[in-house]
Amino acid sequence: MMDRRNAIRNVALLVGGAFSAPTLMAMNHWEDNLKASPAAFALSDNQKLIVAEVAEIIIPKTNTPGAKDVGVPDFVVMMIQDCYRKPEHISFAEGLADLENKKFLSLSSSQKSEILKQVESNSVEQMKVYQVQQTKMGDNDDREQMKEQAKGLPFWRLIKELTLLGYYTSEQGLKSSFDYVPIPGKLEMTKLKPNQKSFAY
Amino acid sequence: MNLNLKVDKTHRYDAIVVGSGMTGGMAAKELTEKGLQVLMIERGREVKHIEDYDTAMKGPWEFQHRGKISIHSAEEYWANSRFGNLANEETGEFFTDDKKNPYIEKRPFDWIRAYHTGGKSMHWGRQSYRFNKNDFEANAKEGIAIDWPIRYEDLEPWYTHVEKFVGISGQKENLEVLPDGHFLPAMPMSAPELYFKEQMMKKLNRPITIGRVANLTKPQPWHTELGRASCQYRSKCSRGCPYGAYYSSLSGSIPAARKTNKLTVLHDTIASEIIFDEKTQKATGVRVVNQKTLAVEEYFAKIIFLNAGSMNSAALLLNSKSNRFPTGFGNDSDQVGRNIMDHHLGVGANATVEGFEDDYIFGQRPNALYIPKFRNWGTDKRDYLRGFGYQGGASRSDWKRGITTDGFGATFKEDMTKPGSWVMGFGGFGEVLPNPENRMYLDKDKKDPYGIPMIVFDAAFGENEIAMRKDMMNAAVEMLEVAGFKNVAGFNRQDTHLGLGIHDMGTARMGKDPKTSVLNKFNQVHAAKNVFVTDGAAMVSSSCVNPSITYMAMTARAANHAVEELKKQNL
Repeated sequence: MMDRRNAIRNVALLVGGAFSAPTLMAMNHWEDNLKASPAAFALSDNQKLIVAEVAEIIIPKTNTPGAKDVGVPDFVVMMIQDCYRKPEHISFAEGLADLENKKFLSLSSSQKSEILKQVESNSVEQMKVYQVQQTKMGDNDDREQMKEQAKGLPFWRLIKELTLLGYYTSEQGLKSSFDYVPIPGKLEMTKLKPNQKSFAY
Repeated sequence: MNLNLKVDKTHRYDAIVVGSGMTGGMAAKELTEKGLQVLMIERGREVKHIEDYDTAMKGPWEFQHRGKISIHSAEEYWANSRFGNLANEETGEFFTDDKKNPYIEKRPFDWIRAYHTGGKSMHWGRQSYRFNKNDFEANAKEGIAIDWPIRYEDLEPWYTHVEKFVGISGQKENLEVLPDGHFLPAMPMSAPELYFKEQMMKKLNRPITIGRVANLTKPQPWHTELGRASCQYRSKCSRGCPYGAYYSSLSGSIPAARKTNKLTVLHDTIASEIIFDEKTQKATGVRVVNQKTLAVEEYFAKIIFLNAGSMNSAALLLNSKSNRFPTGFGNDSDQVGRNIMDHHLGVGANATVEGFEDDYIFGQRPNALYIPKFRNWGTDKRDYLRGFGYQGGASRSDWKRGITTDGFGATFKEDMTKPGSWVMGFGGFGEVLPNPENRMYLDKDKKDPYGIPMIVFDAAFGENEIAMRKDMMNAAVEMLEVAGFKNVAGFNRQDTHLGLGIHDMGTARMGKDPKTSVLNKFNQVHAAKNVFVTDGAAMVSSSCVNPSITYMAMTARAANHAVEELKKQNL
């Protein structure tokens, strides 16, 4: 008999998406009566500013709203708190500490971009150990499978994923980026027009 | 909504149906339409069609975690969360809180439940395929388990009967391996899918069809009469379909049964035992526990239909002990709870598709392609038994591609507003062989919060399934490569267990011989013929096709037989 009480499981998220998994404790016994209280996760004001700055660099304000306009910074923090466990809390905090050490907030915008490019390319290597794989389930769901790791997902993966999720599913972000069709009413194979935006549903 | 809540003071009905899901709904519809007064017993809360679809019309921004599952929910829904967040913010209300409804695992078992009106019909995948002739003959031919007591011809008229009522969109293909049914107009395929279909026929002589799915593409008068409308192509089916385009007990069978004014529904009422009368050697009714008050009551009827879902129907039999049935109702054969089957999944392949840049889709298709079984079929012979089908298809990637590709900033942001390249992938559904050692039973000591013994699962995939999986992955890779697609990657997840397919079945199988089976060819308990089990429990083998339409056809056939027998005073 396998004791999976301490097995850390990855679950994939959002049907049809390439979302990384918060790791979950698979509980073996209902009597465990584990309290559903994610580890405390708190950021300093300075760290919150860095989160906001990085999110805004990923999705800047252009002729459409930017990450800050639609509340992405608070969303990212809330999501790390609610949907991720300690390993991600640690890796996220480590990523922020690294940027704090680099005096990120006081740099010019081109220096900030350079640093984030570096962080991004480092995380490509870090992500390799997770051996991310898309899997199809019943009903044509796409889910993501990752090899279990003791280490939390890299900071860059977390902040980029949550920034995009927070932005493109916010009302302003979604409606200004896509052609929002909540009730298509029909199903048609069509041809793309020049510069046509994606449909969102 | 016409809710028939007047419970007869004498607690007497013509028929009791335990469960309100896919087969319970169908049993209630068929029995009431044939003139019986029916009591439907649902263990979970009441969900009202449309009115209680709280998330159905919400925009993405109206979900706090935007579809991701929170740690808190993941602990409440621990079985649901092992493999994917089945119970997420959009659909969680139609899944069961595992923490409040515990079960015991001797070996890992992913038991996915839905305790409310409509049961799992609220989030079924809607894929509806008939078993083929060989599915009913394979056990006998191969010497596996026992022979089915029925053949395809026995179910054929009932398949047509339920397909018409349910409304299945699909394409006639004239294939022996996948018999045609009664279809509404088929949904279209995208340009890469049409290309793929053509390549497979040309290069592998392998037919591919569009999924046969229980969404109304063109409602018929009998659908409209029940308030069901055409599919809106939102593909948000599992939130509850406010258009009634998606077939569930709530949109179809229960409204049809209510129209007769012969249906009474009890909610929050858990059937704990079947009451057996030693004098007449018949069941007389069921004992129930109210899940809110824990009050125990008894209800009586001439016939009883068990449609609680295969595991709970078997548990109810096992928990109903008497002098005649010391090891559980109808368990003379010791087969109740044994032979658990499901379909195994989480294996297949994905690829990227070059070209088709100017092809796009308006609307979301709540459906996929279907690749019927081709292994161990015709002249093909493998070193394992049975086979598998695939579901999947092509789609254009959206902004989520930005998560796994490099880049950020204004240009990146602009790119994300345009459709990305096409990707294509398939996941297999493999047949699982019946094995008496794959079983569930009741724990001797542990009780659930309602005082009913807890279920213990002791089941796992066997060698045949594991051998098949390798081939399932390789064959999917081969097809995508043959089609000329790029970055072909196979997958074969090792962390799946029986149960995950949510096609659990086999725990009270039909058969010709009372020594080796629980039910006869009309789903009647051999030794107490006024008890019918017509959910997945009755299955003798699993085929590789999605089973709900077969359960429903069996249910309609059994209900017809029950009423005929009542008329002849045989029950």
